[in-house]
Amino acid sequence: MAVSAPALPSKPAATTRLGRWDSSWLLWTGIIAVLLFLVVSPFVHLVATSFRSEDTGGFTWGNYAAAYGRERYVQALVNSLELGAGAALLAGIFAVPLAWAVSRTNMPGRGLVRALVLATFITPPYTGAVAWILLAGPNAGWLNRFYVLLTGADEGPFNIYSFPGLVAVVALYSYPYVFIFTSAALELVSSEMEDAANVLGAGTWLTMRRVTLPLALPAILGGLIICFLEAIALFASPAMIAIPARFNVVTTQLFQFFGNPVRVEVAAAYAMPLLGVTVLLVLVQRLLTRRRGFVALTGKGGERRPLALGPWRWVLFAYAMLVAALSVFLPYVFLLQAAFAKAWGRGFSLDNLSLRNFRFVLFEHATAAHSVLNSFLFGGAAATLGVVVALGVAYIVARRIVPFAGILGFLCVAPFVIPGVVLAIGFYSAYAPPPLALYGTAWILILAFTARFLPIGYVNASAAIRSLNPEMEEAVRVLGGGRLTAMRRVVAPLLKRSLLGAWLLMFIPATRELSSAIFLYGPNTKVVSVMIFDMSEEGNFEYLAALALILQLLTLPLLWIGQRAIGRDFMLRRSAT
Amino acid sequence: MKAFAALVVATVALALGPLSARADMKQLEEAAKKEGEITWYVSHYTSEGAEELGATFTKLHGIKVNVVRTTAQVAYQRLTQDIKNGQTICDVFSSTDIGHLVRLKAQGHLEKYTPEDASKITEVFRNLDPDGYFHTTSAGFVLITYNSSKVKPEEAPKKWTDLLDPKWKDKISTGHPGFSGYVGTWVLQMKLLYGWDFFKKLEKNKPQIGRSINDTVTALNAGEREVAAGADGSTMFSAARGNPLSIVYPSDGAVLIIAPSAIIKGTKHPNAARLFMEYLYSIDAAKINVKHFGVPMRPEVPVAKGEKPVSEVKAIHPTVQQIYKGIPEAIEDWRDTFGN
Repeated sequence: MAVSAPALPSKPAATTRLGRWDSSWLLWTGIIAVLLFLVVSPFVHLVATSFRSEDTGGFTWGNYAAAYGRERYVQALVNSLELGAGAALLAGIFAVPLAWAVSRTNMPGRGLVRALVLATFITPPYTGAVAWILLAGPNAGWLNRFYVLLTGADEGPFNIYSFPGLVAVVALYSYPYVFIFTSAALELVSSEMEDAANVLGAGTWLTMRRVTLPLALPAILGGLIICFLEAIALFASPAMIAIPARFNVVTTQLFQFFGNPVRVEVAAAYAMPLLGVTVLLVLVQRLLTRRRGFVALTGKGGERRPLALGPWRWVLFAYAMLVAALSVFLPYVFLLQAAFAKAWGRGFSLDNLSLRNFRFVLFEHATAAHSVLNSFLFGGAAATLGVVVALGVAYIVARRIVPFAGILGFLCVAPFVIPGVVLAIGFYSAYAPPPLALYGTAWILILAFTARFLPIGYVNASAAIRSLNPEMEEAVRVLGGGRLTAMRRVVAPLLKRSLLGAWLLMFIPATRELSSAIFLYGPNTKVVSVMIFDMSEEGNFEYLAALALILQLLTLPLLWIGQRAIGRDFMLRRSAT
Repeated sequence: MKAFAALVVATVALALGPLSARADMKQLEEAAKKEGEITWYVSHYTSEGAEELGATFTKLHGIKVNVVRTTAQVAYQRLTQDIKNGQTICDVFSSTDIGHLVRLKAQGHLEKYTPEDASKITEVFRNLDPDGYFHTTSAGFVLITYNSSKVKPEEAPKKWTDLLDPKWKDKISTGHPGFSGYVGTWVLQMKLLYGWDFFKKLEKNKPQIGRSINDTVTALNAGEREVAAGADGSTMFSAARGNPLSIVYPSDGAVLIIAPSAIIKGTKHPNAARLFMEYLYSIDAAKINVKHFGVPMRPEVPVAKGEKPVSEVKAIHPTVQQIYKGIPEAIEDWRDTFGN
């Protein structure tokens, strides 16, 4: 039904060698080894560090006492959890109606809405945060000024420098995760199931509530969990908003532990509860998925018809445009203004227009252009490695090839919750010293990016594999083919499109990853996010905006190529044949 | 006759002095060239400034400079990790936080080296560490900055205590001492000058607290705030582009920030590192600094337009020991008063 299952390739010559070489265990061992290298070893270093005394190097509980001995530190932890929950909830409110409207209804402008969600997705969270500071600053924010102008009130209602302000900004730039997962799942639900409900007397809304949404629930939860984890691991947006708002979250607190005197050991201890939270969330999601245990993709045909909403479709469209205005239209007006301004503090005026900022960052700045290239190279390498590992592990887990395979799945998800700064320290202590001596090379960045975005690849790959009925591989094996043949001839072709989508989903955030890069880049491996962060610290907002826009523009052709290559399946969209 | 002899001696000394120094420099340069490159962890110039300094050094001496420009805390974190792992990647370390250098010196991680031109730099910057392990290589001021489209010059605060006037409520911007070495030094100096009461009163005016001292530039440009305790360099850089920013040298003293550099002990490129320290005191380096709105180390080089030479400013600053001991304490005080 959903994915048009391609016919098995018919080139027997190529398969004979692979067919005989069925020691697929080599592959599984290799993948598990890479996973140990990427996740377990830096993580073990991190845990060991949390129990190590800075002075003597011996065992101590002292770091934990220091990490939780102050109300301020504990409060930061609570703030992070609230931020994660609030941002995930709000992201759900933004994303789920949009996903449903786009994939199941006759709302107008569905392609446009998809494109706008994509535009949101490729906007780095720190760029969005900067734009929102300009929009909703309590004194000079454009929205507030507009409100004052309109109503004659003394002051506007918005204050970005507040807890709700931070939640809103984080949610605005993480809702695409929920959208992508939810719409992918909704497009798998066949109209037949809804028809069945209709036949039994359920109306449109009841069907949606009782049939459609529950079927998509595991995917929605997966998206919400990713949002939650993303929100609590973010560094730049809280640094820009929470500090002036006068509260700390875990990442800004961690940054303080790295101040003078450096307390890496305390930082490691402070990061541990976040891992507990991940374990818990993964268990919750697994429980929910297991109980439902549905197989939506069977290789059989199916049909979906858009739901006719009548006038309601315009209400939905207006909602979609509202969300797009908040995440794309308004922020980009101000980014463009800054990028093309001689001096952005002068505001909009014709004699303030200039291309100087673009010329400077592209041709005159010693490292800006090179940093963009680095980001794309490292991001591409990390996404490729990540997809291979994620697919391998997802397959091992789904088909229970090794005992305790579930642990491997957990390992793939764990890095998401380790804040980038801490992950970077783990990588640094594991791989900077000899024998590997990776510090200063591109490899340490590529590996850290791979580990950091492995969860996205994994959630994706495992959702895709779970949707494959094992019958298809069993058929291969009944006919004498090995696991590898089944992987190569059945699994990979069927998942080709979603894996390409997963590659892009890892690649895009990797090209703008900041929090781990800032500790791992070397003299010749500076990446664009670090460059942009430096510019924000130097108050060079014109250059920052120009460089951020260049980064966005360079992403567009890749997305276009992606769309051409993967067609309608791009960003997990299933072809509706 | 005696006078003549004295004159001859003086002339010979004058002629030989520089000559022998020049011979030493020649040797140093030869040895440095053989080493080929250095890695420079630097936080106290803008990234463009640091890159240009590095590139010019390469042009002059044919020695590659790997510039790792980041904020002071990140640079220090990186360096301590290197040291823990027994790596010597960094050859020259430049920080805005004097405390870093004091700590590194006490732990025996710095190489003692005094550049030839140490006596030629502006007096206030000389002899920062009497033992000669680290030396001032960059400086700037924390002073009063304001958005000139919102505040007229005559209305702008003239001294630090003017910021406590209730008329500036919700209109002040500062950085955070826990993030910025510049802000840390300013907070400490205000505490030394007026006691912690200054900040208790400042808190009543609800300043907006960013991270870096340069966040004040953003807050003023956006019009979000009108006056700030800002840095001369980044503010004037932004003003030179046409942004509506101005500076005031406060009558009770502009806070002088002295930022040092040092050679890391055990470096693989000791001669290149020494030559680089010499270069940071050169006229060439001072000119590049001024181009990026920094304070030149050499008095011969005029300051950037709109700024005053150090000699004409009432400059105040804490001592090295006061900074080393006082800033961590001031940060804690700050968090108690301002909440984070």
